[in-house]
Amino acid sequence: MADRLHIIGVGSPYGDDRLGWVAAERLRDCLRLNAEPGRIAISILDRPGAMLLTQWNETDEVIVIDAMRSGAAPGTWRRLAVEDLASSHPATSHGFGVAGALELARELGNLPRRLCVYVMEIDASWSGSGLSPAVTDAMSVLVHEVEAEIARRFILSPLTRMTGTA
Amino acid sequence: MTEKREIPIHVPVLARVEGEGTLELRVRDGTIEELRLRIFEPPRMFEKLLEGRDYAEVPDMVARICGICPVAYQMSAVHAIESLFGAQPGPWVRDMRRLFYCGEWIQSHSLHIHMLAAPDFLGSASIVEMARGHAAEVRRGLKLQALGNDIIRLLGARSVHPVGARVGGFHRAPARAQADALREKLAAALPEAEALVRWTAALDLPADEQDFTAVSLRHPREYPMNEGRLVSSRGLDIAVSEFESRFVEHQEAHSTALHSLLDGQPYLVGPLARLNLNFDRLPSPVRTLADSLDVKFPSRNMYHSIVARALEIVVAMREAIRILEAYEEPVSAYVGVSPRAGAGYGCTEAPRGILWQRYDIDATGKIAAARIVPPTSQNQARMEADLRSSLQSLGTQQGEAALRRRGERVIRNYDPCISCATHFLDLRVRELKHG
Repeated sequence: MADRLHIIGVGSPYGDDRLGWVAAERLRDCLRLNAEPGRIAISILDRPGAMLLTQWNETDEVIVIDAMRSGAAPGTWRRLAVEDLASSHPATSHGFGVAGALELARELGNLPRRLCVYVMEIDASWSGSGLSPAVTDAMSVLVHEVEAEIARRFILSPLTRMTGTA
Repeated sequence: MTEKREIPIHVPVLARVEGEGTLELRVRDGTIEELRLRIFEPPRMFEKLLEGRDYAEVPDMVARICGICPVAYQMSAVHAIESLFGAQPGPWVRDMRRLFYCGEWIQSHSLHIHMLAAPDFLGSASIVEMARGHAAEVRRGLKLQALGNDIIRLLGARSVHPVGARVGGFHRAPARAQADALREKLAAALPEAEALVRWTAALDLPADEQDFTAVSLRHPREYPMNEGRLVSSRGLDIAVSEFESRFVEHQEAHSTALHSLLDGQPYLVGPLARLNLNFDRLPSPVRTLADSLDVKFPSRNMYHSIVARALEIVVAMREAIRILEAYEEPVSAYVGVSPRAGAGYGCTEAPRGILWQRYDIDATGKIAAARIVPPTSQNQARMEADLRSSLQSLGTQQGEAALRRRGERVIRNYDPCISCATHFLDLRVRELKHG
């Protein structure tokens, strides 16, 4: 089965909590020119909880983008591997968050082949309808980082290999 | 001298954005003097946001109030607006709205049973721990939840904040082939839903009979979802438009949520209330299934809510299959409507209970005022009464951890929005002792 990259923006419609959606939408625009149809899927999910683990197959590569509340400065972002999530339970702003879904996936034998999570700190004091200034400012850096990771480890290497064996 | 001991306990798993809960107890000499459950509730904010908007924008806007039950908010809204405009969307739209609602009941109930309630009764701290010993049941739950989402996606274009519903009907009709494919999936999974009912009824559920007034919709022929009169276990029987004459909301200083009372008293809405009041409206095969269980309805045991939810999943799956079997693509998926000035009322059965809405609309179709009474605020007074009695009988001398666990378990029976978080209670016990 062909490798597939699934980028999942997790969030809700409220203020900075939608940052995962905004990042995924920007990536959709960025990647439209580069993506090979059918190999890159971009989804936006509203607080999926445990349903997150129904979004992938065991052969998929997955990048999740989510909002975080950890006390760091708003706009601070981190890239977490599966191991980081399992050990630290980062405080995403969703009750049964990505860490919980991954733990459940592990119990059920349903982890994707590879997964990482980009999280960005929200401004908890922000009550506007869009993103806060701090998150807005940091968004382009986050999107650029995710895009660079995709190019580095997925589009270039696996696709090149596949082309060679086709 | 009075000794005051204040012990704030913060549960370090953050509550979800759409709702978070804090429970405050003031205890004197072992007796709970005061109990306050704080719930943040977003609908209040939306009532203001809706003012000045065009009626046609309402379904998309209210879908954003809740990530778990967007269909309920949309359905109460379109019924309210259409009742004012005198619109008659016809049988196709009526069936599709029932189908839409079936999807939401299946996904929401399955989420609640597996993520929140069942781990309590199996002695597991979470669904993750439960999955170690009950992997097959967890997989079944996720599968059923996904099927509910599939139904919502069929009509709503997406399962997150579905955009398919509009005043007058739906923006588009699903293709026959899509409907057929989904019907087959539902039919194949029906035995699993029935097994889920038997599994919930076999759980070690505490015996805890309570006295409460149940409130739900009641329809002349159907198990209620979108239509019916408001009835109670104490003889209430009124039209949806008469809600405000008997149900009064008041603001408690400690909570952003309004407390709703029926004739001045707490009442229960949701699956147990619905099933208690509509057991005779169950489709015949579901009635047979229910009759075969050791758990009997009507029931006064709040812990039987999990069985009521499972039975409603079967109701919704059978109804969805029935509707999809007869599915035909319509000439149009909606009827046109003309704005009319006045007040429109709508009430439908959200997964968590009746969701009542009122819209005051001017002659140009602009919303002058909106009122949204969600099930969580209607259950709040009942939840507090239940908490008071349950925690008192547990014994306030128990440690905060035990009190919090019991408090969470009690609240989970009501499936309030705050229960979306696996652990949510920020428990504050203030103990006053005479020394």
